[in-house]
Amino acid sequence: MRHRKSGCALKELAKSGGLSVDLASAFDASPNPYTLLTPDLRFAGMNRAYLDVTKQTREGLLGRHIMEAYDGAGDTANADQLRDSFERVLVTGEPHHIALLHYAIPLPDENGVWRNVDKYWSCTHSPVTDDDGQIRYILQHTTDVTELQLLRRQTRPVGAVAEPMSALDAIVSGRLLQRAEDIQASNRRLESERNRLVEMFMQAPGFMTVLSGPDHVFQLHNQAYAQLIGHRDIIGKPVRVALPEMEGQGFYEFLDGVFATGEPYEGRQSRIQIQQIPDAPLVEAWLNFIYQPIRDADGNVVGIFVQGHDVTSDMVAAERQKLMIDELNHRVKNTLATVQSIAMQTARTHADPRTFAEGFQARLIALSHTHDLLTRRHWEGADLRDVLLHETEAHGSTRVVLNGPAVILSPAAALSLGMIFHELATNAAKYGALSSGEGRVFVDWAVANQADRRLTLEWRELDGPPVVEPDRRGFGTRLIERNIRHDLAGDVKLQYPTDGFHAEMSVPLDRGSPT
Amino acid sequence: MTLPLSGRKILVIEDESLVAMLLETILEDMGCETVGPISNIDEALTVIADGTAFDGALLDVNVAGREVFPVAEVLKEKGVPFVFSTGYGEGGLPPEWRGQATIQKPFTEATVCDALIKALGVTPA
Repeated sequence: MRHRKSGCALKELAKSGGLSVDLASAFDASPNPYTLLTPDLRFAGMNRAYLDVTKQTREGLLGRHIMEAYDGAGDTANADQLRDSFERVLVTGEPHHIALLHYAIPLPDENGVWRNVDKYWSCTHSPVTDDDGQIRYILQHTTDVTELQLLRRQTRPVGAVAEPMSALDAIVSGRLLQRAEDIQASNRRLESERNRLVEMFMQAPGFMTVLSGPDHVFQLHNQAYAQLIGHRDIIGKPVRVALPEMEGQGFYEFLDGVFATGEPYEGRQSRIQIQQIPDAPLVEAWLNFIYQPIRDADGNVVGIFVQGHDVTSDMVAAERQKLMIDELNHRVKNTLATVQSIAMQTARTHADPRTFAEGFQARLIALSHTHDLLTRRHWEGADLRDVLLHETEAHGSTRVVLNGPAVILSPAAALSLGMIFHELATNAAKYGALSSGEGRVFVDWAVANQADRRLTLEWRELDGPPVVEPDRRGFGTRLIERNIRHDLAGDVKLQYPTDGFHAEMSVPLDRGSPT
Repeated sequence: MTLPLSGRKILVIEDESLVAMLLETILEDMGCETVGPISNIDEALTVIADGTAFDGALLDVNVAGREVFPVAEVLKEKGVPFVFSTGYGEGGLPPEWRGQATIQKPFTEATVCDALIKALGVTPA
């Protein structure tokens, strides 16, 4: 609202019925200094007493911003105190008092020269509202208390012997002002303390809310609580109205119990189903919380303070960890059973402990190699070529020729094929193409049918010693056949033509079931 | 000394072929005949439904990512004794199957033998 330069705000107010003409005259005649400010803090009017105290003219002040006319002689702390007081009146609509304001104003000296003069004031700022309750003006009532303040200073003990205070001084200039000053200071301290506490409440990582009365009406809650309940408008509503989905979950009853008995209630890892998005399915969460009774001065329970933490992610993590430990245990036990089987089967075909140890260790190392490859890819799979390389590299890259596309094997397939290639390579080195200087092994593979992928792989040995089909199927052969058919649901054909051993296998790649 | 389980037919459900081979070897040493081994639940259910005869069963709990309990259910109804084998321990069994004869992986020949003798109610000779 801008002030109109020529118009007298008081008359305007009088015309609008806000102030009677008589009252306007009384205002002007009052010995107490008054000034009327617009909400944007411009002078809209002042009485005679105000002009007497400030030595200003009405024309010189009307329309000017008060903080511009009186800037506190550059003391920003004092200026802030004054501005805060106006601000508070505008925000709350309530009068505000400054018991003691240290504020310099310009005044003419005996030679008519304007200088800033240190002053102490006591002021009251009151809102003046129109019929709609809108604040139209702030009425400032200031009293110059500089002399009282100076008097008090002078009576302070300065020299070696303190002058006893006069009664008047003690009552008026000394203790009274000191008390006013102290109260003012402590109000400021309490105010900032309160603001800090409110800020902490609002920003606290845990959720908090204050419920009032036997129906648990929401009075106040912080941001974490708002987040928990999906930012619903709950202030002023009883909990059964504000959070209807809690029906049947036991929370209303716990609140009723705390209100009735005055005993706090603590919930640990309590499961809750809560509406976090309108019309969406309820969200499951786990909470640690406490319902603490709030009592009045007589000790009666008047409300409940709720505070707690959402521990859902902790619960999920603990659950996941338990699953992982179970799965790890399962895998370790299965691996041990596999190793046990390898040991037992190897023992049956090696009477000599020395050759048993060699054969057993070679098989263990083959298994371990595949584990290494899988660990490299976080047990999500392993590349077929890598598995082949690991099991055959001891025989040299020129003697084992690998040819085929990149194929990622599931962990189960990688482990099975690793053992199979180990058996094939061991057999080739013992009896087949890799047992003589000239022989070579060709491994060719391809993936057919992209929709339901199937790996076909051929292991051909050439230029080795003449092949004789074994009359008895050893462990290695049984392991190959079993693994392909049993574990991988595939087919395998082992052939023994005289010019070189030949294996063909076909394995589905997308069975999707891990061991 | 005659073997207590000599001539008995034992169904083996186990997806890990090396473990299945071990069980076969153990059963062979005990004079038993292995039915299977079978590496998936559906095939096991088919084999049982077909009326294949056997005197007892060894059931791996986790068969290629699926639990063997549907098979256990059918065997229980038919009154065929069976023993679970698992790497999870007995704590890994759901409450309704707690107390069922169970062997832990890895197992010894003696454990397998004892569990089967107990389950089949055979008095050692």
